[in-house]
Amino acid sequence: MTTADELRNKKQTYFDDVTIGQDMPPLVIGPMTPTHLFRWSAAIENWHRIHYDQSYAIYHEGLPNILGQGSWKQSILPRYLKDLCLPDGWPWKVSFQHRAMIVPGDTITVWAQVKGKRKVDGLGFVEMDVGMRIQPDTETCPGTATIVLPIRGGRAIPYPFVPPEGA
Amino acid sequence: MSEQSGPLTDEIRALIGKTAERLPASPPWGIEREGLRIFTNSIMDPDPRYWDDEFAKTTKFGGIITPPIYVSYIGRKTPAGAEDPISRAFRENPESDGIGGVRDQGRQPGALPPIPTPLKRVLNAGNEIELRSYPKLGDCIFSQARYADIKGRIGKDGSPMLIVTTETIYTNQDGEVLCILRASGFRR
Repeated sequence: MTTADELRNKKQTYFDDVTIGQDMPPLVIGPMTPTHLFRWSAAIENWHRIHYDQSYAIYHEGLPNILGQGSWKQSILPRYLKDLCLPDGWPWKVSFQHRAMIVPGDTITVWAQVKGKRKVDGLGFVEMDVGMRIQPDTETCPGTATIVLPIRGGRAIPYPFVPPEGA
Repeated sequence: MSEQSGPLTDEIRALIGKTAERLPASPPWGIEREGLRIFTNSIMDPDPRYWDDEFAKTTKFGGIITPPIYVSYIGRKTPAGAEDPISRAFRENPESDGIGGVRDQGRQPGALPPIPTPLKRVLNAGNEIELRSYPKLGDCIFSQARYADIKGRIGKDGSPMLIVTTETIYTNQDGEVLCILRASGFRR
C-alpha cells in the first residue's frame, strides 16, 4: 500500500521517462476481507446483499462467497492512475470491464503497462493497458487508460483539463 | 451470445438517447470532510490532498480535492427524514436482494425512466470514466444522465439479456464538468 508521505513527496514521472512496454509501478491491495467489502457497502449505502450477507450470497444466489463490488473496483483504478500522475499529470480516461469476481481472501495487484505514446498540442499522452489482477494470475478488470504527463521543458498541463483537439 | 435482438422491444429501443433532468447529486451543503474521509478510507487512499489543508494549498489544485468518482456516490444516499428504504423493501419482499425496491430509479424524480422489461437482475458489465477536474470541498454537484445505448442479446443458454449503457455528466455549481461516467450493465 502507498503511504500518505509517499504521495506527499512523489516525484513527477515525465512523458520522456516512459517507454512502450514499460510496466508502471503496481499498487497491491489486500488480502481483502468481508470487513473491507462491508465498509464499502456502508460508505456508499449500497445494500445489495451479495456483498455482505454470506448466507444470502451462497444459498440464495448460488455464488461462491460474497463478492467485491464493481463500484469499488471502478474507484480503485482512477485512484491508481491519479497516483501515477502526481503531482502535475492528469489521469484523463479509463475504461474497463468486470470479469472475474473478487472474493474475501484475494490480494489485488493494480497494474498498468505502456502501449503507446503521442504528443498532442505540447502535452504527452500515454496509452496503457490496465487491470486488477488477483492471485495467482487472474485478471478481474481488464481495460485501457490514457494519462497525460508533462514533457520535460514543455508546457504545464492545463487544469481543469480540457482535452486538446485530436487527443 | 448471439446477435438476436431478443428482449430489445420497440418500447425499450425508444429509450435510447433519452436524457434525464439535470439533478442535484449532493446534499445542499455540498461535499464535506466527513463524507470524504469515509470514502477515501474505503478505497484505502491516504493521499494528503484529501485531508491536509496546508499541504493541499501548495498543490496545483490550491486546496482540498476529492476523488472525481466520489461525485457519483454522494447523491445516492438516503436523505434524513425519508422513509427507510430498507424497511420498505423488505416489507414489500421479505426475500429482497437489498437493492430491488431500495433503489428503484422510477421512484426518484427526474431520474431516467425505468426500462420496461421483466429482466430485473442487474450485473455490472463495465465502465468508462473521463476526468476533467477534481471536485473541491463545498462543491455542490449536479448530474445529468442519458441512455447512451441499449442492446438485446440471447445468451448461450438461451436466456435473454439486455446490455444497458448510461452516460452521466457530473458538474459543479458553476457548470464546470468534473467527470463523465459511462456505465454498462447486464439485465438478466
